[in-house]
Amino acid sequence: MSEDPKQPMAPGDPDMHPMAKLMFGWVSNPNIGKRIFWGLFGFSMLLILADVVFDRHPHNEAESYIGFYGVYGFCAFAFVVLMGWPLGRLLRRDENYYGDADDGEGGQ
Amino acid sequence: MSNFIMSINPGLLLILAGVISAVMPIQRVRQILAIGTPLIAMVLLSGAVQDTDLVTLNAMGVDMVLYRVDNLSFIFGLAFLIAATLNGIYALHQDSIIEDSSALIYAGAAVAGTFVGDFMSLFVFWELTAISSVFLILKTGTRAAYGAAMRYLGVQVLSGVLLLFGAVQLFAATGNMSLRALELGADAGTWLLLIAFGIKAAFPLMHNWLQDSYPRATVVGAVVLSAFTTKLAVYILARVFPGENLLIYIGAVMTVFPVFFAVIENDLRKVLAYSLNNQVGFMVCAIGVGTELALNGAAAHAFAHIMYKGLLFMSMGAVLYRTGTTKASELGGLYKSMPWTALFCIIGAASISAFPFFSGFVAKSLTMSAVLAEHHYIIWGMLLFASAGVLEHSGIKIPYFAFFGHDSGKRVEEAPFNMLLAMGIAAFICVSIALPAGAGLGYGFLYSLLPSPDVALGYNPYTFEHVLTQMQLLILAAFAFVLLKRFGMYPPEKPGTVLDSDWLYRRAGYGTALWGGAVWTKIGPALMSVWQGLLKHATERIEATFSPQGLLSRGPLTGGMAVWSGVLLGAVLLMSFLSSN
Repeated sequence: MSEDPKQPMAPGDPDMHPMAKLMFGWVSNPNIGKRIFWGLFGFSMLLILADVVFDRHPHNEAESYIGFYGVYGFCAFAFVVLMGWPLGRLLRRDENYYGDADDGEGGQ
Repeated sequence: MSNFIMSINPGLLLILAGVISAVMPIQRVRQILAIGTPLIAMVLLSGAVQDTDLVTLNAMGVDMVLYRVDNLSFIFGLAFLIAATLNGIYALHQDSIIEDSSALIYAGAAVAGTFVGDFMSLFVFWELTAISSVFLILKTGTRAAYGAAMRYLGVQVLSGVLLLFGAVQLFAATGNMSLRALELGADAGTWLLLIAFGIKAAFPLMHNWLQDSYPRATVVGAVVLSAFTTKLAVYILARVFPGENLLIYIGAVMTVFPVFFAVIENDLRKVLAYSLNNQVGFMVCAIGVGTELALNGAAAHAFAHIMYKGLLFMSMGAVLYRTGTTKASELGGLYKSMPWTALFCIIGAASISAFPFFSGFVAKSLTMSAVLAEHHYIIWGMLLFASAGVLEHSGIKIPYFAFFGHDSGKRVEEAPFNMLLAMGIAAFICVSIALPAGAGLGYGFLYSLLPSPDVALGYNPYTFEHVLTQMQLLILAAFAFVLLKRFGMYPPEKPGTVLDSDWLYRRAGYGTALWGGAVWTKIGPALMSVWQGLLKHATERIEATFSPQGLLSRGPLTGGMAVWSGVLLGAVLLMSFLSSN
């Protein structure tokens, strides 16, 4: 999303699978990052607006707030991702930490 | 004759096919067995009479039920058999006797374990799943895989031993070995049983065998492993401890904590292993709630999960097969060369994230509704949090870092056709059991297979409110992703080993053992010489007293032994004479 605009793929990339262009050609559009960003933003606002217009049947107080699910999802996601910074520093060690990384991966 | 055939536990058929595969050098025959046997088993299963003990046996005073089908076991068994068929297709490109036979025996053990009716038979198949599946990890052939396989085997066998202990205690206390709903703590052995099941279901702090071993398995091996072991444990939990309150909390914790590990993990197959943990948490939680709606949710979730988790492992297996790695830091931009794999992976990702019209949605909705209906609001909040977490690691991270993201420049072949076929069928199932297509089709088909079909069919996941709230959760969470990515706040994928609870035994425990060994080699000889000195001294003293040349033997025998014997005898006689008066 943020990296493709810098390196737009040549339209006739000889190594590219023929179906790739058909299914995912849109990914190489230089403006795709912006479009996805604003598209998702617009969709989010629309969903929250729908919450204002339609009545839900909440089971508890939290659920009754307008846009509760959206805000909760946003915050939960952001929290999980941001926790990646301190947790990574705390828990990430060298690849050979257990001394068996010589060939550490599966495969044939 | 047909009665006899219909009373064969379909798992035994798979085990037999696996044993034949083990000695069958002709690849084509093994392939036919791998795909054909689960299909035949499905036919047998659908014809089986339900709610009856079809085969029983009395061994050493224990009543064993070798084949029994009911609503709960049927859906798990069916899911296992579908997974076994897909695994057979996924493995068609390779010629590996050990993987073919081990996959069949392992699947067979899980299916057979699902359809037995007593703890003793369960124990047999419980251990067989462990022993047969370890080859799928060993086959990788690396030192890391060997270590992981041995740890896996140790933990799995321990689970079996605890199961046996628990079952024997239960039998001694109640005289009844049948698989039945038990109350935790009410009978002897129930705690042991819970721990045995908990190890296999990868409860928190008992979970690490999973993240340790699955990512080290072969391309095909990880796909096979993802389907059976944990879901067999989920089935048994639903059978033995439905409505056990403790499971609600264990399940909720289980959904939340793997999310954080999945964010920082670099190996995408390990991310999937954490995600598996998180998904099983939803099922365990639902079993703890224990209402008909909740148990339906657990069963539906297990069925859907076996399909989409298999699909995700298949897509990452294809990436590993073609590029030789599943490390996020080394991947990216693969959609250019593997567009079909990317498409199927996205379908799996959408399913696990529970987008409407994908299987996770119709399954998880049942559980969420059941938790809300029972007013477990904090638990509900945790599950909702975990749902956003699933979107992060399985919904976005897996497809984004493998197929899109930063272009790694890797240009490879698309996955072999048989892999694409298996992924295609799995993707088809993920979508087709989720569509609102009317009675008996779409999600109606899935719901009609659940333990309480009447309750399930009265439930509509596609209410406007339901779709709206789920879309809000997912779309705003996805927006959080693009926002964080845009402002460079998304932690970069870095190679490394992420510490988890296995540190306790792989580093702390192993380190202590090594330290103990080192200490022993240093002070051992000194201690030994002190001990030997003491021993020598004592021996000398004993010898000095009792040996033929010793203190007691000096002088004439009559003078020593006889006099003392006479004195003792006299004392005894005197005592008995006094006490008899």
